[in-house]
Parts: sequence; structure tokens; C-alpha cells
Amino acid sequence: MTRSTSTRSTSTRSTSTEDPRIGWVYVAPAVAIVLLIALFPLAWTLWESLHQHDLRMPWLGRPFVGLANYAEILRDARFWGALGHTAFFAITSIALELVLGLFLALALNETFRGRGLVRAAVLVPWAIPTVVAALLWRFMFDSQAGIANAMLVRIGVLDQPIVWFIRAATAWVPVILADVWKTTPFVALLLLAGLQNIDRTLYEAAATDGAGPWWQLRHITLPLLAPAMLVVLIFRTLDAFRVFDLIYVLTGGGPGTSTEPISIYAFNAMLQNLEFGYGAALSVVIFLVTFTLAVLYIKGLGADVGGRR
Amino acid sequence: MVLSRPSPCVALRVALMRVALCAICLAACDQRPSGGSVVTISGSALGTEGAVLRRQIARFRAQHPTLRVEIQPTPDDATQRHQLYVQWLNAHAGAPDILQLDVVWTPEFAAAGWILPLDRFSPARDSFFKATVEANVWSGKLYAIPWFVDVGLLYWRTDLLAHAPASMAELVQLAREGMTAPGGARYGIVWQGARYEGLVTVFLEHLGGFGGRIMTGDGRVVVDSPEAIRALTFMRDAIYGSRIAPQEVLTWHEEEARFAFQNGSAVFMRNWPYAYALLAGGADSRVRAKFAVTTMPAAPGGRPTAALGGAQLALNAYSRAPDSAYAVIAYLTAPAQMLERAEVVGQFPTRPALYDDPRLTAALDVPPADARRAIESATPRPVIPIWTQLSELLQIQLHRALARQTSPEEALRTAAREMNALVERTRVRELMAGTVAAGTVTTEAVER
Repeated sequence: MTRSTSTRSTSTRSTSTEDPRIGWVYVAPAVAIVLLIALFPLAWTLWESLHQHDLRMPWLGRPFVGLANYAEILRDARFWGALGHTAFFAITSIALELVLGLFLALALNETFRGRGLVRAAVLVPWAIPTVVAALLWRFMFDSQAGIANAMLVRIGVLDQPIVWFIRAATAWVPVILADVWKTTPFVALLLLAGLQNIDRTLYEAAATDGAGPWWQLRHITLPLLAPAMLVVLIFRTLDAFRVFDLIYVLTGGGPGTSTEPISIYAFNAMLQNLEFGYGAALSVVIFLVTFTLAVLYIKGLGADVGGRR
Repeated sequence: MVLSRPSPCVALRVALMRVALCAICLAACDQRPSGGSVVTISGSALGTEGAVLRRQIARFRAQHPTLRVEIQPTPDDATQRHQLYVQWLNAHAGAPDILQLDVVWTPEFAAAGWILPLDRFSPARDSFFKATVEANVWSGKLYAIPWFVDVGLLYWRTDLLAHAPASMAELVQLAREGMTAPGGARYGIVWQGARYEGLVTVFLEHLGGFGGRIMTGDGRVVVDSPEAIRALTFMRDAIYGSRIAPQEVLTWHEEEARFAFQNGSAVFMRNWPYAYALLAGGADSRVRAKFAVTTMPAAPGGRPTAALGGAQLALNAYSRAPDSAYAVIAYLTAPAQMLERAEVVGQFPTRPALYDDPRLTAALDVPPADARRAIESATPRPVIPIWTQLSELLQIQLHRALARQTSPEEALRTAAREMNALVERTRVRELMAGTVAAGTVTTEAVER
């Protein structure tokens, strides 16, 4: 960074009387703020994660333990369980959201009366705060008064009402459904933006050559929508890996810990149990996992996006 | 640059002066108003609880005109209040001087050196219930004064049953009778089965009833004992075997259980005393004058056990006015104030002598004799500084067993293993034996 600035300043010095150091002075406050609010907490968390530091056990002090916290994470069955739950949640919900979002986007891309109104109405679930949405779904899946049981019994899928939140398999149902319900509009909106970027004339040309709608979808729409889908994937994966409020309200991570995602586990260690050292190590691991995912996406699919621009 | 720059020397001096000014401001702000000391108290200050606290403090101030007493509001949610306290005390904050503690926090705060031993004020230990004192003693010293006591009660329907159960087996049998009787209730028994501290208190009552315990006196976790396995199996059978408890209890806290009982849907309910007034006098209660309370019965080899809850008042170790603060604690925990709390809020006094007082009979909804019997069979949760962490490990395994993800044996064996490992890792046993004092481990560990 320093080198590029200095080269530029040598080349501009002949035409400008400004001292390049003045530039640094001007950006110094901004740099300081970035250091203070982004890098400092990150560095502090890293440093903290190398200590055994339990706020509630001052008699243990705050000894430096090197990578012991990380070694413990690798041995921690609850951590691996949480990672697995997070991955399961991310894959299932994103797959559903992508498919449903695509259908929705295609429908919204057609011209029909009141399209503007429908487009706005579709966004309503996205606009509801997650905690409120989660509470709504919790009520709907309540074992006695919930509408889910009533409907499933009426149409004969269930013989009798079931208690959704006491089995791992059934507890996931409201969680995934709530996320899909809430986030599909967002996915659809991003995909709709992508659809509108596709040149209309391509479809006209294809239609002239006798291509049907299915062929057009497979060979024009989907390939040209890939960049928008990548954006959706990145956004949603990172979001899903940080899922917290939805599951916190719906299942609290239960039954047992069978729907607990890593964010709730880290929250628990850090803020409920005030295990700052171990909690910091968990946060660093979460950061590394999401960072790796982001890099993989950009590397694996990003070149494609860049090429199309 | 258009503006002429001041010389660096002047700029520096201006900057230095500004810093100095700020420092003076901060120092001034930190100073407490002079003349008479200020005592702050933090605790439940909402609703009727807040009203009675404010009234009592106003009376205290009238008697002590030189002393200022202020209420520092804290969240009513126990977990949040606990987090705040821990953060403040870690920062050695001197306020609030008086801390309202949950019954399981005292050993934690005492071991951390955050609260003061109160023995130098010579409080009369034997004028409080034994269990409430035990819960507040750490390495032989009393660290908090019991303020009011909460205790697990078994509510039962007097319109469906002729008498309270005398044993665990009879509990099941009566629950079934109450369910099948004409006009019977939908559920036999309801309790708190969600994965939280409440589940542990329910388990503790079953555990005691079967003759087990969570921990030995020297800090060894024994929740994998045969008695404990029988107790957890009993709870699980109540759901899937005899089916007296609905599967829903595994998602229920206190209020869901109360709603079910209040609607007349349950023969028995395990809950805290707060429910009594709501069931006895609530406009939407369908069980008014149709219920009574007792304690959870025992199986052969066990004894009736009630979980102990409630609040205590402790003295911040960093308080600048500990003597004045103790005067406030002594006033608030005096018999007259306890009677007033009982009357206004319905909370049980911690002094057994008051249970013979006719004023208490008039004040409490629960017959004082029933309340007293329950409190006398109350068992504190293990008095150990890391209780909350131990409890979390136990909660998860209890919930797994009750949700049939694993067997009771397996669950309790895992819980005991994990809990003992935590006790080992945190060196609590040495702390309990007094061989480790706060802060001594640090240097040792660093050297290693």
C-alpha cells in the first residue's frame, strides 16, 4: 500500500505542489476509526482466545494457555454437533429458498395487472422482525392451540396432534419453514433484479428460432442468472451460518442441544457462562469458517462473475 | 492552506489543557455528593415488589436522615441481572452496595471475593430457616441474609382427590384416578420440563424423593447413582409409561404449567408459591377453592424434598459504605418488613418464628403451616460457585433423556462425567477445602 502511494506521488509531484504526507494526515482519522472499531476488537478477541479467562472464576486468574482453547474446541462434541446443525440448516433452507425464490422471481417478472402491488406485498415477511416472525411460527406449531397440528389432523396427515419441539426431527420443521417463509422474498427480489438485466432480445431471437419456454429457461435464463444466484448464495450462506434469533426463540437449541447452531453455542459460552477465553476462541473459529466459505465462493464461482461484467 | 497554522508549541499546549480539563471533569463527575453516605440497592423493583421496597426504604430514610438510599434498577430477568452483576463486580464497581442475589449465586460471588462475609455484623443465624442459611454459607462464613424464600410445592385438586399422595407410587395412582374420574382432568401432573434451571429443580425434588443427591459434601458429583437413575426413569415413565404427564411439559416453564392447572386441566402441578394467589383469586381461575398444596412425596428410601429458591441480600465487597449498607439490609430483613412483603407480594418470610404469628396467616394466601412444612423439607441446590455451569450440563442430559434421545442411565452417566470434569478443571474442590485463595492460581499457571 505504501509503495503504490509513493509511486503515485512521485509521478504527480511535478504537476502538484501538495505534500503527499498531507494526504495521510487527512485520512488518518478514518484509518484510526477503522483500526479502532474493526481491527482492534478482532485482535483483542484473538488475544483473549489464547487465555483461560472465566469472568466468574477469578480464582483461576487469566493465564496464557496458547492454543489450548482451540484444542478443546476440536475435542468438544457439542461444538461439532453445533457446526453440523448449522450446516444442515444452511443447506436445507438455502436450497428451498433458491428454488422457491426462482419461481417467485419468474412469476413477478411477467407483466400482469397490479404487479407493483404484488411485488411489494411479497416483501412483507422479509419486513417482519425475525423475533416476531419466530414467535408467530412458535404459536403456529404449538402442540395444542397451534394451527399446524389442527390442519395436519384435519387433512389426515396426522392421527393426533404431535409435540413438535420435543423431537429433533420435528423441531427442525418450524425452524426451516420459518426461515424459508421469511427469506424467500429477499432471494426472489435479488433474482428478479438479475432477471431484469437479461437482454429481452435474446428471448425474441430464441422464440423466432422456435425455442420453447423450457429451452429458454435452461439455456438463457439460468446461465445468465448465475451471477445473481452467486450473490444470493454468498449472502444467504453467511447469514445462515450466523443464524441466532430465529432458533433462539423457536427451540432455544433444544431438545437437548439437537437444534443448537454455533452462534447460540458461542453466545452461551461467552455471554451466559462468561467464559471469555473459550468464547473468544469459538468466535474466532466461526469467523474462520465463514471467511473460508466466502473465499471459496469467490474463488470457485467469482471468476465467472468477473468475466461476465 | 488558507488558514495560518498556529505554532506547534501553542497547539500542543492547547491540546494538553483540553486533556487536563477533561480529566478534571471526569474526576469531578466520579465524586459522590459530599455530606452523608449514599447506599444503593439493586433488586426487583417492578410492580408491587417495587412499591413495597420503595415504601420500606422511605421509612428507613425517615429514621436515618443522614443516609441516602437509592434504588438502582436492574433487569428482572435473573440471567440478565446476573450478567450485569458479574460485569460490574469484575470492574470493582462500588455501586450497587447491596445486591439482591438468587439463592444459587451466593457461593459464586463469595468465592470470587465479590461480596463481604457478614459475620462481623453478627446476624442471628438461627432465626432463619436452616436451609436458607446453608445456601448462603461459603467456607464457614455467612455471605448473605435470606430475604424471602421460594420453595417447590405440589398443588393438588381437592375436588378430584380425597387426600394428598403419601408416596411416589400413590402420586401416579391418584393422578390416574383424577384423570379417569367423571369430570376428570386431562393431565395427571404438569411440571417444568423445558431445558432450563426449572427442570433441574423439578429433578432435584424427584431425586430427593428417591433418596439421591446431586453432590457429596466433598464436591463429587453423584447424579449417576442408582437412586438418581430411578428418579429420572420415574419422570420419564410419567410421560411415556403411565402417561400422567403430557409430552408438552418438555417445552413448559412455570407459566405454561400454571395455565394448564388454572384451566382445570391437571390433577397435580409442581410449581412455586407465586401461583397460589393467582389460582385462588384470579378472575380466570377455574380451580378457585378446589386445590391445596403439599410437598412432593417420596418413594421408599427417600424423603419428601422441595427445591429451595428465593432471594438474599449481600454486601458488595467494593462498597464504600459497608456499615450503612448493612443497616439497610438489617432493616429490610427485619420481621416487620418481611410481614409487609408477605402481605403485599405474597413472598414467604425466611424467619420460622413468623409462621406462628397470626398476622402472617392474615397476610399469606397459602396456609402458613403448609408453607412452613414445605420450607422445612427444602433442599438447597449444591452450594458451589460453579453451580450454573454444572446445572447447564445437567439440564442438557436430563432433557435428552426425557425426550428419549438417550436412556436415563446413559444421560446421567454422561452428566456426571462432564460435571466432575468441570469441577476438576476449575479446581473448585481445592477452593472449597480452602487450599486455593482467589488470585493465587494465576502466577502458578503462568509459570507452567
